[in-house]
Amino acid sequence: MAVNLASTDVPSRERRLGSITGYCGTLKELANDGCKKCLKNRRRDFQTSSNCAHTHCINQLAGLDGTLVVDHAPIGCAGAQICFTSVKSRVPAPPGALEHARVISTGLTESDTIFGGLEKLRETARLAFERHHPREIYIATSCVSAIIGEDIDSVCRELSDELGIPVELAAAEGLKSKIWASGFDAYCHAVSRARLVDPGDKKATINFIGFSNIGRQYVEPIMAKLGLELICLTATATVEDFERASHSVATWGQCGAQSSYLASALEVKCGVKYFQTHLPYGGIGFERFMRDLGGYIGKEELALKIVEDEKAKYAKTIEDAKKTLAGKTGFIALGASFAYEYARLLRELGVNVPHAVAYHYDPKLDNPNENEPVAAYADVVELGLDIDTSVNDGQSLETRQLIKKYKPDFIMTRGHGANCIASSFGVPSYNCEIGLLLMGYRGLAMLATTLADAISNNNLYRKIAKTYDAPYTEYYNGLPTHSFFREEA
Amino acid sequence: MACISEQHRLSCAVGGIYTVLAIEKFLPILHTGPGCEVNAAGALTIVNGAQTPITYIDTSLPCTDFCEEDIVFGGNERLRKLVDEALKYFKADLAIIVDGCAAEIVGDDIGEVAESFEDADIPTLHASLPGFKGNNLWGHSQILSAIIDQYLQPSSEKIKGLANVFGIVPYYDTFWETTLERLEELLSRLGLTPNIIYGIGKGKAAIDKIPQAEFNLVIGPWLDLDIAKKLENKFGAPYFHYPVLPTGASETSDFIRAIVEYAGLDKANAESYIAAREKRFFHKLQRLSNTLIGGIMYPKRFVINASAGAAVSIARFLIRDAGLIPHRIYIPEDVPEEHQARIEQLIREPVYDTKDIIDYDIKFTDDGGLCESEIKNEDFSLLHVNIFGTTWDELLAKNKGLPYVAISPPSGDYFVVGKTFFGYDGGLEFIRDLQNDSIRKFLGSGAVANVE
Repeated sequence: MAVNLASTDVPSRERRLGSITGYCGTLKELANDGCKKCLKNRRRDFQTSSNCAHTHCINQLAGLDGTLVVDHAPIGCAGAQICFTSVKSRVPAPPGALEHARVISTGLTESDTIFGGLEKLRETARLAFERHHPREIYIATSCVSAIIGEDIDSVCRELSDELGIPVELAAAEGLKSKIWASGFDAYCHAVSRARLVDPGDKKATINFIGFSNIGRQYVEPIMAKLGLELICLTATATVEDFERASHSVATWGQCGAQSSYLASALEVKCGVKYFQTHLPYGGIGFERFMRDLGGYIGKEELALKIVEDEKAKYAKTIEDAKKTLAGKTGFIALGASFAYEYARLLRELGVNVPHAVAYHYDPKLDNPNENEPVAAYADVVELGLDIDTSVNDGQSLETRQLIKKYKPDFIMTRGHGANCIASSFGVPSYNCEIGLLLMGYRGLAMLATTLADAISNNNLYRKIAKTYDAPYTEYYNGLPTHSFFREEA
Repeated sequence: MACISEQHRLSCAVGGIYTVLAIEKFLPILHTGPGCEVNAAGALTIVNGAQTPITYIDTSLPCTDFCEEDIVFGGNERLRKLVDEALKYFKADLAIIVDGCAAEIVGDDIGEVAESFEDADIPTLHASLPGFKGNNLWGHSQILSAIIDQYLQPSSEKIKGLANVFGIVPYYDTFWETTLERLEELLSRLGLTPNIIYGIGKGKAAIDKIPQAEFNLVIGPWLDLDIAKKLENKFGAPYFHYPVLPTGASETSDFIRAIVEYAGLDKANAESYIAAREKRFFHKLQRLSNTLIGGIMYPKRFVINASAGAAVSIARFLIRDAGLIPHRIYIPEDVPEEHQARIEQLIREPVYDTKDIIDYDIKFTDDGGLCESEIKNEDFSLLHVNIFGTTWDELLAKNKGLPYVAISPPSGDYFVVGKTFFGYDGGLEFIRDLQNDSIRKFLGSGAVANVE
């Protein structure tokens, strides 16, 4: 199902793409089954708390420049938004240059669930507009607003006329999907409707879609050599950035989970080519990406020269770090794309990957071109990448059994608690970077050197593990891995 | 409740599970959406002193991950299966099933599910925590009420000097762990046997002792008063409400005298302790006098945008011991109206020289952004103020070039291990934080640097 910007709603990843949160097997089987459209989701009888599509929609929207999100929800649904804006106090920007993300709650209460909350929504949006004068407003739906079934779309149109600014619905009810990345799609859909413009002349610009533009100083010179100016559709992106992005020649994203829907929308609406299959991480990924991009803009030779130059620049650093990493085992627990990107990166660094947990898996993305496979499938086909893998939506007790079984030298993770589990076994964690910072040979060198240091002195974790009394029964400890999956009829 | 609320300082009622998580080996089992726990965690743990719970990692809690399909098929059976499995997997002394908005609206019955585990090896309680009914403070109260109503039994024996300690909401109060450690130490020194239920080494044994207490101490302006009244009704133990968690010398000494008087403890012992600690407190400030009096020093006025507990503690300390004066006070904690006049009185009570001349507002709200919206355009270039609040306010302080100290949740992702503003040393800790931020903000006219 291609992106449909005419609708205000966006179906969940499960429905749209056949994405799954339950699987165990090998990467090869997973990727092949996904490609043949015969991938089955496995459900669980026991699960632990996961994460929220709603919060991942509103944090992305609120990160944009000049915007404001009205959260049509009980007050606590925006309770975690401080996590996504607190760092602004420490950014070395001049005083007054930054403001916190604006998420304003309607604060739905019990009586609103009975009598409706639309009048409150109108009032909140008006007060929020008066206080902040944003250039646009997004109204996010929630579990509660969805269950009571309110017509928020009509209110958006009314308010847009009244306030004289775009007021866009973000269909972000958390209970719609077990995959928190569905919230990224709700963000991408809403921002595409609000900010993308009709295609005009192509300009020599290239779009990067991701969480953050941190690391752009390392990537801009590479793109400049290809004659392309980098536009970051990330937190802090302006309305004008999106307008300019509509005229770019191409787009790539940090990963399939966060970026693919917006990239596909740019392709569908504006004809901007989306490079989906080869993400530019590690030497292998970078070369493939640059070959694709260079070929597309008619500068393949130049692109490969840039790759050679970058490779030479970081070769010694990477080779030195590889001596520490050689033969080590690294367990992975990461998002749908990065689980397998890091599997390839670690292999490139001479590290064995006994198992990778992906927090979900997308057998395809929204790119209308069905010939463009997802990145994991490409690695299986092109590089013969194959590892033991499982898919769980941050199911910590499943991941715990796997870490215990494989006894890795370290784990590669980012958020979602796997680091706490690893430390209870005395296993150190490496907090993975993503996006522009990880790109190319510089990213690989950064990974190699910091990872080598991360595993160079394990005394802290060893001692934590000695004193930690894990609160799990012998029965649980004796269970085989993947034992929470329901027996399907 | 206002129709505009931003810069959220509170989580939803599901945040009440952090009260369960503060009691060692008490396990919350969630019948909520997949992300309700994470949303509650944001302002209570991750960006509130970078805390991780003590027994169970909060990302590993059993949860039905309630989604659309459960609305269609009903969640009760899935919940029953989940509880059944969870009790086999987790070493726990007690479990509490909680639910959130979606399960409540569709009418799933967690009470019925909990009752079906009557014969389980551990007590299995239930507490409804829908976010549309209340915030994490309401959730905290629901959890303690569930333990009292569904688990605790009256005791015929009262233990002389045993006092349950309430009023501090774990995790929400960023400094709870160290505050309770120091409070326990102080009360023990005065001759009481404090029964603190949160933190390492407490757990079920402490919970089981609650009905045996001679009295309940509620420390702080309003939280847990409902719990103390409930305990009084159920177990007949009176409660002593001391409305200020004391910071600094004068407040701590007052607290000591009050608790000694109430509990009939050794006054001479208390007075000699007070004398020694007050001398030490002001000695340490006197040693800073070269800077404290006439050097580059923090402004005299302060804005507070914080919980009622923190606002009362810090305002009273600053006025009484540090020579500061209030400029504006915001309390974005959605404090029930019945408590507001008393809290205002606690802040306005301390005496200072210009009290009758310089007036200021105290505002109760559930809108964390009210403070910023009102003072954003105020000109502080001539007369500086300090801003004491949460990490939301840190950026406001930075933008206006004003000193800032985190006193209230969410206090940021800074480590708070071993930190508290409670007691004599807590006052010194506060002065240290304030001065250290001030000298980062104000260079003074002697600065040998080009600041253009």
